[in-house]
Amino acid sequence: MEVKLLTEHYHRPEYRKLSGYKLYGGYQVLAKALQMEPKTIIEEVKASGLRGRGGAGFPTGMKWGFLPSNHEPRYLLCNADEGEPGTFKDRLMMEKAPHQLIEGMIISAYAIGSQKSYIYVRGEYFDSIRILREALAEAYKAGLLGKKILGSNFSHDMDVYSGAGAYICGEETGMISSLEGLKGQPKLKPPFPALQGYLKKPTIVNNVETLAAVVPIVRDGAKVYRQNGTEKSPGTKLFSVSGNVVRPGNYEVPLGLPLKELIFGICGGLKPGRKLKAVIPGGSSAPVLTAEEALRAHLDYESLAQMGTMLGSGAVIVIDDSHCMVDLLGVIAHFYHHESCGQCTPCREGTGWIDKILHSILSGQGRLQDIHLLERVSEHMMGKTICALSDAAAMPVLSFVNKFREEFEFYVREGRSKVRGVSHAQM
Amino acid sequence: MPKCKINGKEVDVPQGTTIIEAFKASGQEIAHYCWHPGLSVAGVCRLCMVQIEGQPKLQIACNTEVKEGMVINNNSETVKDTVRWGLDFHLINHPLDCPICDQAGECGLQEQYMQFGKYDPEMAEHKVKKCKVVDLGPTVVLDSERCILCSRCVRFTDEVSKTHELGIFERGDRSEIGTFDGKPLNNKYSLNTVDICPVGALTSKDFRFRQRVWYLKEHNTICTGCSTGCNVKVYYNEEGCWRVKPRYNPDINGYWMCDEGRDIYKFINKKNRLQEITMTEKGVSKVFQAEELLPQLGLELKNAVQKNPESVALILTGQYSCEEYQSLLNLMVKSWGLKNVFHWVNHPESMEQFDGLLLRGDKNPNTKGLLNELDLLSLTQTWKDLEEKLHRNLIKHLIVAGPENLATFSDVKEKLKLFSSANKLIWLSAGIFEGVSSVCSQVVQIPTKTFFEKEGSYINHKGMKQRVTPGVEIVKSALSLCEFVEGLHHDNKGAHFQDMDSALVDTKLKEPLKENFFTATRGSL
Repeated sequence: MEVKLLTEHYHRPEYRKLSGYKLYGGYQVLAKALQMEPKTIIEEVKASGLRGRGGAGFPTGMKWGFLPSNHEPRYLLCNADEGEPGTFKDRLMMEKAPHQLIEGMIISAYAIGSQKSYIYVRGEYFDSIRILREALAEAYKAGLLGKKILGSNFSHDMDVYSGAGAYICGEETGMISSLEGLKGQPKLKPPFPALQGYLKKPTIVNNVETLAAVVPIVRDGAKVYRQNGTEKSPGTKLFSVSGNVVRPGNYEVPLGLPLKELIFGICGGLKPGRKLKAVIPGGSSAPVLTAEEALRAHLDYESLAQMGTMLGSGAVIVIDDSHCMVDLLGVIAHFYHHESCGQCTPCREGTGWIDKILHSILSGQGRLQDIHLLERVSEHMMGKTICALSDAAAMPVLSFVNKFREEFEFYVREGRSKVRGVSHAQM
Repeated sequence: MPKCKINGKEVDVPQGTTIIEAFKASGQEIAHYCWHPGLSVAGVCRLCMVQIEGQPKLQIACNTEVKEGMVINNNSETVKDTVRWGLDFHLINHPLDCPICDQAGECGLQEQYMQFGKYDPEMAEHKVKKCKVVDLGPTVVLDSERCILCSRCVRFTDEVSKTHELGIFERGDRSEIGTFDGKPLNNKYSLNTVDICPVGALTSKDFRFRQRVWYLKEHNTICTGCSTGCNVKVYYNEEGCWRVKPRYNPDINGYWMCDEGRDIYKFINKKNRLQEITMTEKGVSKVFQAEELLPQLGLELKNAVQKNPESVALILTGQYSCEEYQSLLNLMVKSWGLKNVFHWVNHPESMEQFDGLLLRGDKNPNTKGLLNELDLLSLTQTWKDLEEKLHRNLIKHLIVAGPENLATFSDVKEKLKLFSSANKLIWLSAGIFEGVSSVCSQVVQIPTKTFFEKEGSYINHKGMKQRVTPGVEIVKSALSLCEFVEGLHHDNKGAHFQDMDSALVDTKLKEPLKENFFTATRGSL
């Protein structure tokens, strides 16, 4: 069942505008928050158990707690560089309810004591950028941004920054580099952004959905927020369902929902005659689940981690039996090869190597040892680099090869796809 | 002072030391490419992986500080396997064109492969093709395929030369080092990028394709190109000298040297040198042996001085060692009673210049040493005095301890014109300068030894005294000034290689830091 905590009014066109947003209680939470102690807000967010919605699932309140307690200027950055293949929830949020994000950001900025924030939007999201800019202008005009917000002592400025098309800029330090005007490459950690981030100042980077979720948490309190979801993964989350389902799209559901219910209930199941083959539960970098695993999976951080995969950004990619897993892995590997920033050797060379091996297999030139080689290359790419792109590239390879080995072996042996009957070259 | 255990060995390091520095300090080997002690940490080659007890993931040693009680190893199977794979990742797209690569023999890839790698290559696919000859600037050529993108050169231009010419363009395995349009790699320190390049990607236009490095011997000495006195190695074989690279000395040049200094090997080489002792009279030159000419010349000069001290003048440049000045002045001033001693300053206008890093306007290695000696003997005559005396035809005999490195003397021609009023010129120089033989009616030319062939000490701009030792003989009949003095006067024992009695800071030539196999064999890490 869907629980529309954030997306309740998304179907209303007027919700995009400040006037419409205010009709449904908009910015009342901000007014409430400005009466609260910043510390209380952080405590509330901590108590809510809100976890980062961008992919890593790190507890938001704890992240905020890492900021040094000095009076250095600090920045809040909203990560709207939504690039994980399969994910399209942030775009919906920015286009349908830009003020919800802005309100969440002002509250968060107030909580952490930041005077300046940026929304770093994926460069291809032209509409999101335009809509956010319009919304910011409205907010400034209404005194919701700028000096002395709503008559309080809190001043805050916000800007929208357009990315330039690199997946790696969704990684928080890559994003910071890009925002600083440098080549979008992740930075070596330590120092972590909470201590030395944007312009070497303390910086918090949160996902769009995370910041928007601060609004209902402050409005209703942590207790109410916790009524949804599980003990360790409280609240609701947007899932972007794509692939072979009847009704793909964004759905807000409580965490812990059985994956089966999302696919077969909410999304209307598969097309008639098709059989579920596999599900990627959290964006292209999350290890794939077989049909059997998918049917018993629950959509929360812990239980997916237990199954060896992850909730990630909540991009559920449903794969039915008409698809060849070798083909799909080829597409994924090509993506990571294209997007590796090239700083760290294992990732720079490994992503290219994997892509080439898969290309060989797909064109009917594969060797049987290539399958094992894919696994070994991937294993040695994991946990060896500055950021997690290398892991993101390696995890799908390991899971695809492991769980669908027979399809890979067939492809190598016969020089053609087990599912489609022909090789890539013959298509 | 945190204590840690590295591969079972207790190591004490200062607060803030990184693990890789602790490895070096304890003399243990660790693989690495991107880390360089003179540059910031990039942490991109991912080779210096270590296992720290209590931490689930391997960590890079270059960006992890040693904490009290850490137990670190890099000899477990996990780490070894990671390093082997790390090397394989470096090599899969490397062209392996060692037979035609200048770096072969001192290449980080070759050496670390022999040390940590040793596996069979498994990549069956085509390698990434990149440009093999990229002209980066007047001094350096890039082979993009060999490049392992360690970013040392980029960090060098950003952090040391601060000229920011280099960058990494493109991304992923298409990444390439490059320069921005219209801004070539052109700075006074550009060749350091070649030294710190761990592979054969950056090569020096001056050295590439000229020698195989394993046929070269190296001699530790100092650069005499300016008064900084950078510590360098000169690489040579029986054909001559081929290149100069910096040696680490934290008090003088750190890890670096300038491009100008790298040219000093050129004037050492035989073809640029004065070969024989000659005397030219009325356009006829005659070759002499030192033994036959010098005693007679000594006698002649001594008599001339004692007859009329004003008729003989000695001109010194800042190019010689302290011992040579002492020896010459002992004989001529102390024992003969010569008064006319002058300091030839090759470029008075830029003498005090300094570029903020290493290059100094004083293009002599030992101006300080010379001034020191002149002071001790209260010799205070100026160049103006000399000019006046020459114009008044007072000076008959002129002894000039002239340029060793002619490239730093732009005023030789004009000075020779001035000297022409003397009757006899005794010209001591390492290099050949056209027209010296016809300056005066009698010209004696004596080839001198360069810094590479003699023992002696030089005092740099800071007052630091550094000793050089002889490398090999290049010009058979060349003499040091000490030997010249001995030849002039057999009784004179000079101050041959005795330390000067002075309050100056005395620093011995520093041996390069004991680095691991890789850094020690590289020119300068």
